[in-house]
Amino acid sequence: MKILRLKHICFLIGCVLVGNFSVAAQTLSIIGEVKTPLTLSINDLKAMPQTQLKAKDRDGKEHEYGGVRLVDLFQKAGVTLGGELRGENLTKYVIARAADGYEVLFSLAEIDEEFSGCTILLAHTVDGQALPQGIGPFRLVVPDERRPARWIREIKTIEIRFAK
Amino acid sequence: MKLLTSILSLFLLAGFLALKSPRHDARLHPYKLEYPSSFGSRFVIPENNSLTEEGVTLGRMLFYEPLLSKTNTISCSSCHQQSLAFSDNRRLSIGVSGKPTRRNSMSLANLLWVKNLFWDGRVSGLEAQAAFPLIHPDEMGQSLEISAKKLSKTRLYPPLFKEVFGTATITGEQITQALSQFERTLISADSPYDRYLEGKYQLSATEKRGLELFMRGPAPERGVRGANCAHCHGGVKLFQEVFHNNGLDSIAVQDKGRQEITGEASDNGRFRVPTLRNIALTAPYMHDGRFATLEEVLDHYNQNMFHPSNLSHELRTATNTEGGKTLGLTAVEKKDLIAFLHLLTDSTFITNPAFANPHPNTKTKPIR
Ligand code: HEC
Ligand code: HEC
Repeated sequence: MKILRLKHICFLIGCVLVGNFSVAAQTLSIIGEVKTPLTLSINDLKAMPQTQLKAKDRDGKEHEYGGVRLVDLFQKAGVTLGGELRGENLTKYVIARAADGYEVLFSLAEIDEEFSGCTILLAHTVDGQALPQGIGPFRLVVPDERRPARWIREIKTIEIRFAK
Repeated sequence: MKLLTSILSLFLLAGFLALKSPRHDARLHPYKLEYPSSFGSRFVIPENNSLTEEGVTLGRMLFYEPLLSKTNTISCSSCHQQSLAFSDNRRLSIGVSGKPTRRNSMSLANLLWVKNLFWDGRVSGLEAQAAFPLIHPDEMGQSLEISAKKLSKTRLYPPLFKEVFGTATITGEQITQALSQFERTLISADSPYDRYLEGKYQLSATEKRGLELFMRGPAPERGVRGANCAHCHGGVKLFQEVFHNNGLDSIAVQDKGRQEITGEASDNGRFRVPTLRNIALTAPYMHDGRFATLEEVLDHYNQNMFHPSNLSHELRTATNTEGGKTLGLTAVEKKDLIAFLHLLTDSTFITNPAFANPHPNTKTKPIR
């Protein structure tokens, strides 16, 4: 009985400490070879131009994702895109890192729509709802890719680096 | 004349550099790391601590050296025993104070590829890591300065340090550097599973079923059964450097894991995914050693997990029955998985004489 009660109390504390940890507190940082490093909250992101697009997730079903194009975020941070994406800047790459430490890589040229013709979205909604815990608050969506392994969940940092 | 002075200054510079970096001493022999190409070379060795045969030999002696403890009774090998893949068989380890350590001892295998060490990933780099157990009052309990002094007073160590580091006095930094050199050589790559990947080992029927369950995520709607272990524990090294909450508690209170490092509530109860290499040898399991057997571990993943809100998405959603809430493996499937886990035992690694206690006397024998 005593043990049971202790379990209950732990559970309650759990709800307070973990269950409701605020999404507002979770941020996304853009760092590295940028003019202005950024740390953005969900509200900062919502204040930027929003894009919706449809793509198939791992479940094989099509969903509508909403968020900000990565290229717009990069523009805001002052990453070399468009006319500046030439010469040595073509040796830049992007490491996207999730809260669990999972990392995936893009070349900078892939992110630039003018260059690659592909949109990469930093999504915060799916089918009109905020991304669920464990996936959001932010996730990458790469609609043209057949395997969603770079659709990194719980994304926390995006770092732009030079290949040395 | 101008040419002469520049040549002269070049010579001077070269002489100075030679003095500054004794490690480039031509008398030392570079140590060649050997590992399967599939393991890849995504690791960094600090420039000022490149591996030499001599450095590795010294590091090995230090790993088994109880003089590095306050009581002269505990060495690294007390809690990291070769026969147990460099872990120990206790729930929590015992060092100089007799008080249990906070966490379960970790196996030391393939650390060359690990960036963030400890269960919570709080330290980066083996050199920095080594200082922790040396100093901690419940592990070896002795400052690096005292350790260096004690070694200086022996007949054995001063010439060895001089050979490796080129200096007359022994420093704490050199102790951690030599230990790290030895630890980087602890490569485990010869388990039956490794040999299977090379086409040199034939799986039994139960091992094959276990492998398939381990590697695959369940998809009941398509009739695919799986345990999805590889999502976190996969890859040829059976290790990926990621941090997850695997549902051990409804909330982690005593030991908050990764949250203690990042300060973020969403990291509560997240720990580094440990390697499953040699897992049959490294019981008890988890950061607090709470499970005595692999059967208990599988029961945990199969039906006993707590569901904190930051339980890994993958664990929350994996089920073998449509609409199911638990993984739902059968008793036979659990046996198959355990048969597969036993394939990860590398007996070459745990008997490799190059990793064994080099000291001839027995006073350094690990205490149990
Ligand atoms: C009293 C027992 C004890 C002694 C002695 C000890 N360790 Fe450990 N070791 C542990 C425990 C417990 C952990 C896990 C601690 C944690 O995560 O907080 C650990 C973790 C480690 C790790 C991290 C492995 C990983 O995968 O992240 C390394 C490396 C290590 N020890 C090396 C050493 C070295 C080198 C020495 C000797 C200088 C040493 N240990 C002495 C108990 C011990
Ligand atoms: C979502 C990631 C994830 C998945 C999937 C997962 N694990 Fe783990 N596993 C972990 C983490 C994290 C730990 C360390 C937890 C701790 O100690 O707090 C762990 C620990 C273990 C340990 C103990 C290791 C040790 O050295 O003590 C074993 C054994 C294990 N897992 C086996 C499995 C098996 C078998 C499966 C498939 C049924 C599996 N795991 C699926 C994340 C995962």
